[in-house]
Amino acid sequence: MKITQIQTTEDDHRIAKLAAFAIALHMVEAVIPSPLPGVKPGIANIVTLYVLYQYGFATAAWVNILRVFASSLLLGQFLSPTFILSLSGALLSLAVLWLSMYLPKRYFSAVSFSILAAFGHIAGQLIIVRLWLIPHAGVAYLIPVFALAALFFGLINGLITNKLLVNKSTKYTLQPQTSKVTST
Amino acid sequence: MQDQLVTANCTTLKSAIISPMRYLFLLLALLLSSCFKEPLYHSQSYVFGTLVDISIYGETDEHARFLANHILENFQNLHNQLHAWKLVSENKLGELGQLNAAFQEGKKLTTISPELAAILVDATALSVKSNGLFNPAIGHLIGTWGFQRDEFTPIEVDEAAIKNLVHAQPRMTDIVIKGNTVYSTNPTVKLDLGGYAKGYALDIAANYLRHEHVKNALINIGGNIIALGKHGENPWRVGIQHPRSPTAIATLDLPDGWAVGTSGDYQRYFMLNGKRYCHIIDPRTGYPAQHTQCVTVLVPPQPPNQTQAGVLSDVVSKPIFIEMPANRNAAAQAFGIDNFMVIDEQSAIFVSSKMLKKIHWVESGVKFSTLP
Amino acid sequence: MLNFLRYPRLLTKQLLIGDWLIILLSLLAVYYLFQTLWSNEHAAKVQIRIGDKIYATYSLNQQREIHVHGKIGDAVISISQGKARFTKSPCNTQYCVHQGWLTRAGQAAICLPNQISLELLGDTKPYDSLNY
Repeated sequence: MKITQIQTTEDDHRIAKLAAFAIALHMVEAVIPSPLPGVKPGIANIVTLYVLYQYGFATAAWVNILRVFASSLLLGQFLSPTFILSLSGALLSLAVLWLSMYLPKRYFSAVSFSILAAFGHIAGQLIIVRLWLIPHAGVAYLIPVFALAALFFGLINGLITNKLLVNKSTKYTLQPQTSKVTST
Repeated sequence: MQDQLVTANCTTLKSAIISPMRYLFLLLALLLSSCFKEPLYHSQSYVFGTLVDISIYGETDEHARFLANHILENFQNLHNQLHAWKLVSENKLGELGQLNAAFQEGKKLTTISPELAAILVDATALSVKSNGLFNPAIGHLIGTWGFQRDEFTPIEVDEAAIKNLVHAQPRMTDIVIKGNTVYSTNPTVKLDLGGYAKGYALDIAANYLRHEHVKNALINIGGNIIALGKHGENPWRVGIQHPRSPTAIATLDLPDGWAVGTSGDYQRYFMLNGKRYCHIIDPRTGYPAQHTQCVTVLVPPQPPNQTQAGVLSDVVSKPIFIEMPANRNAAAQAFGIDNFMVIDEQSAIFVSSKMLKKIHWVESGVKFSTLP
Repeated sequence: MLNFLRYPRLLTKQLLIGDWLIILLSLLAVYYLFQTLWSNEHAAKVQIRIGDKIYATYSLNQQREIHVHGKIGDAVISISQGKARFTKSPCNTQYCVHQGWLTRAGQAAICLPNQISLELLGDTKPYDSLNY
């Protein structure tokens, strides 16, 4: 009988720890009521951004996606509309983040990435909402409100991330994209 | 050192909190001002065989309601008095209906009210000015086309009857008015003041309101509008309906005393074999004009002893509607009208240069031609 | 960490020139979105008048059919996803039905014989009265 053994690497451990932190933040946020459904501070994204700076895009993507899946399982929302919205938002915001990495870090701090990712996030969610959940022209009224929230919270999360990074390193630089997740 | 720091912190705090507060107060003030209701009274009624919209600005609700009701009552009476064919009460025709009956019988002399006499004199002058294109005497033709009913359905075109009526040439000048008595030299004359009455009613209502010292009002009778004063700080703004859809194709401001009227083929018409037959009949051919979709005229206030703005806004659109494209300008000029717009059967838009300056298109990219 | 929130100047010092650019563009985007999507053109309600009186005002954010009784008979008005129209009318000419869907604030459809009118209401009217 062959026993399959999963070997975990240091990268895996790191990702797991970071994802756990992100999930924790997500849980905390889930307890806080929001005035409008869908408008949330998204503080778990601070972790994603921080990871992006420290360990590269691949790791950040893993952390983000893991956070979405795990949180939904923990909250009992797995495969629910909430989960689909979370996932679509996460995917599009990651896509935007990946593209925005071409921006020179000399001129753009974490604030820029945070805001851009936030807009990507709401865009992903609004697409799902419009196509599937509320196929109604009235969705148009939500768009400006979400956009404002994206700008506001994106800014705040970015500032917090900046603050965190100041403590970690003296220059705002993104690590080269060499850290890949490997598993056997 | 500590005190200095504290002071510095307080100053920063103050500037961080108080300057935004200033803006907050401004915002609050703006919001509050928009919450107060403006003194605008608005009523909508079905009178005069059509929809009548009265807006009065700057009067108490109670007073405005009183004024509006008076106007509406007046309109209903006018409607009965000037109705070409309808029974107004228990087998009785209104004044004009009776006059038409008298004409048909070839009666020698009929007595009419001074008001109706004045209307006939004015209408005759206008008819002559329009080279007979505005012709309220062709009531029989209008009836033959089925437009003297409450609703319009396709009819069987009675070519013979139409030919005869055109040949008989009923004209306003066939009517002889002596003081308050009147007779017609042509028994085929049947008066239909459909293209005159609404404008006339507008002028009456406007005069009444002015007499009652009302400064600001807007009256809309079946689409014909006259303005008094302004809508608060801004002039009254009217929309001009697109001939083929429920939207407005353009808007324009209506200054004090100005009137606007439109003749269109989209309210009173019927379709027969894919062709549209509207209620605007060319007296020369006896057939509805089919090369125009609508004509809008804008009329400034007129000198006191001449035909007033309301009447002109109703009347003048007809000759322009019926005329050949080449003669449209001349048709408008005959009445001293510089501001008009035409949409022909191809949906091509023509605007006079003076009107163009006043119009705001609702959609961007509207194609139109300017008339010299 | 929250100390820095009391000193706005310190906050803004962190922001690089690219950040300001992104913030500015986002503000413009948000403003533009509010202007277009929350603009007056979007009608929110339909007002039904029968004769002299306002019969009812309905939100356009629903899907329903309303049966009303006018001067000459019963009419059916449909509301659907931000639009309204006459669906059935007892009049001969059916002009009101032919007007089709009303979609923007200020648009109106009238059934003269039945004395029923529909008007879409938005934040402000694009004009005070309609000439036709």
